[in-house]
Amino acid sequence: MIKIATALLATTLATSILMADSIVLVKKTDRDVTKLTPESKAWEHVKATTVHLYPQSAITLNDKRANAINRGAKAKEAKVKAIHDDKNIAFLIEWSDGTRSVQRGYKSDEYADGFAVQFPVEYKNPEKLPYIGMGSDDRPVIIHLQKAIEEVYEPNGNGDVSMQQNVLSKNVFGKEAAEYARRVGALAVRDYQRSFVSEGFRSMTEIKDGSEKFYADMEYDANGWRGTLIRPIKDEYLSLKGVFPVAFAIWDGEKLNRDGQKLLSGWIAVKFSDYKGKDELVTVLTAAAKGDVVHGRELIEQNGCTGCHQISGLSGPNYAAPGLDNVGGYSTAAYLRESIVDPNAVVVPGYNRNAHPNTPWYNVVDGIRQSTMPPYPLDEKSLDDMVAYLKTLKSEAK
Amino acid sequence: MSKRQLAMVMDLNKCIGCQTCTVACKTQWTNRNGREYMYWNNVETYPGTGYPKNWMELGGGFDAAGDLQAGVVPNIEADYGVPWDYNHDELQFGAQFRPNIEPTWGPNWDEDEGAGEFPNDNYFFYIPRICNHCSNPGCLSACPRDAIFKRDQDGVVLVDLDRCQGYRYCIAGCPYKKIYFNPKISKSEKCILCFPRVEKGLPPACAQQCVGRIRFVGFLDDEEGQVYKLVHKYKVALPLRSDYGTQPNVYYVPPTEAPPKFDAEGRVIEGSSRVPMEELEKLFGKEVHRAMKTLRKEMKKRKDTGESELMDILIAYRHSDMFRLDGEYYKDIAKKQGISLAPVDNRYIQGKNSVNKFKFKVVEYD
Repeated sequence: MIKIATALLATTLATSILMADSIVLVKKTDRDVTKLTPESKAWEHVKATTVHLYPQSAITLNDKRANAINRGAKAKEAKVKAIHDDKNIAFLIEWSDGTRSVQRGYKSDEYADGFAVQFPVEYKNPEKLPYIGMGSDDRPVIIHLQKAIEEVYEPNGNGDVSMQQNVLSKNVFGKEAAEYARRVGALAVRDYQRSFVSEGFRSMTEIKDGSEKFYADMEYDANGWRGTLIRPIKDEYLSLKGVFPVAFAIWDGEKLNRDGQKLLSGWIAVKFSDYKGKDELVTVLTAAAKGDVVHGRELIEQNGCTGCHQISGLSGPNYAAPGLDNVGGYSTAAYLRESIVDPNAVVVPGYNRNAHPNTPWYNVVDGIRQSTMPPYPLDEKSLDDMVAYLKTLKSEAK
Repeated sequence: MSKRQLAMVMDLNKCIGCQTCTVACKTQWTNRNGREYMYWNNVETYPGTGYPKNWMELGGGFDAAGDLQAGVVPNIEADYGVPWDYNHDELQFGAQFRPNIEPTWGPNWDEDEGAGEFPNDNYFFYIPRICNHCSNPGCLSACPRDAIFKRDQDGVVLVDLDRCQGYRYCIAGCPYKKIYFNPKISKSEKCILCFPRVEKGLPPACAQQCVGRIRFVGFLDDEEGQVYKLVHKYKVALPLRSDYGTQPNVYYVPPTEAPPKFDAEGRVIEGSSRVPMEELEKLFGKEVHRAMKTLRKEMKKRKDTGESELMDILIAYRHSDMFRLDGEYYKDIAKKQGISLAPVDNRYIQGKNSVNKFKFKVVEYD
């Protein structure tokens, strides 16, 4: 009996290595999770799940230095924990980072470390999750961002123009001038944490009216960063029930990371530990690809995918289509399949088409984005093989 | 492309490098709140490093195929220069006059140095630079958040501070490096062509204050306007580094009038000019030859006959002719949009009142 159990465990382990990142179990607590910080002892009692974060390589941005530094960037492992109480859910994400980069002072070309947690607004159909890169049309996401940026002022915050004048224009001197400086200083937003709603990365919009309440924090020690994100389980934007997907992103300021220059995970299944219902989402997000990788690669070449898409080792033109180098890391199999069969299903407002006008990724017809990629309605076996191959496209964690 | 386009023409023959425009802009917009190091308007010596340092070599803009080129975000100390102050307060108590930091770089660090060998063929001239409010802006194309927009009513390029997240790809994308990072608000800011003034029928502060009266401001489709005449009728005003492919809307009358060179004995070399044509070609393209021919021809015509419309324009008699703005035009737009006052910019107003679940409509730029 013990032998069988061990054998079973061994197979589970073996498959789990082949599978995508496993699920995050949310432990229940009677305490108030909004009090948690990255340093809280409570985290020691929660099991960590290892997730992988891959370099975003769908688009190349236009910072020459950042591109040089991040060429061939490697994936990274992070540890995720989660606890919930009756009202709120708290996540802890730990990742290694050799340098503590904080954006502060009078600098123009320094960038901050940071992390973000992304939730889909709708996740009933696990085959139709929002695009991982900040959602897609009619599949919005909510994103919480915490960056290591000090003392940020918000000019449009309360429109108080009188507080935006140079002290020399204020006709105040001595103590009055110092008092003015103090009041202006008090307008600083101390912590750079923001919530966004997004349907594709160019549409990302900050939620500024305070209707999306959350707490975030990040702490650095010798091993790297620990970040916490605590938000309501249910509010007017999101309702997290049973099993739901979540995605993480991290930025390394030392490597001039910001915006799309980052590492991101795929959709990770998160399950409330007391949930007993269906978990189709877990199956979809953790299932191993079932096709023939070698045949899949042949099909990719035969169908001319690399005529537009870049895949390292296969030649492809610049700018013509999203790069696929890490697509296997951060995309779900369902998304890859959907994109081959019906490229119009998800066409995100990506980078400005004017940046590369000769190679538009989509055209706008009657206000609707139409992908320039034709559909490839292949047979099931071929699709499985192609998806299996695409799922192997990812950089290894260091 | 916007419906209409405001443009500025600067006559480089008359720029004396007095920096009054720079000061007008600075006191109006950039002496506070993280903008201290920025010069939305600067006047640089050419040849020289310019502002920021060696901006022409920092990338951005488009190649011949129309693809946005990668660029570099300049460093505040090394490339722009951090503003410094002096200890004026302490002087009455006998202190030495000294700056509060040890300056290592700043705008116009190499002012009036120029090139060539004194006194035989040394030369320089001034180039005042503001944002070019391009028809094909590199900054706008580079922004991954749709935070930069070009106004339909006059083509002014603005940063939507509500959307800007401070990524700075716009700075890398602008070949003129005329968009800046504000470290205090962690967002990008740039020359706004004094749109609140323009909407009231007033020219930008830099143009209004110019003592050399070198600046003309108006709509490019206003055929009666002097800007139109200089750019399209006489074609003597040319865009700066149009090879960057951004279709800039600030135009320059190239420096036609340069003193002659001297030979080894200090005698004037007749017919020579200190400003090398290849330098002018680099700045203004091949068109510069024809523009200078026209300028010389009209100058001669004026000398011979006393008549030349082009010379009359360049003499810059009246501000009312040099600045053809139209406050009524903006009032009409405001009225149509149901807004009582300028600014008539919807996105600026929207920024103040952004509400939850505000669904941003991505602007497709064609």
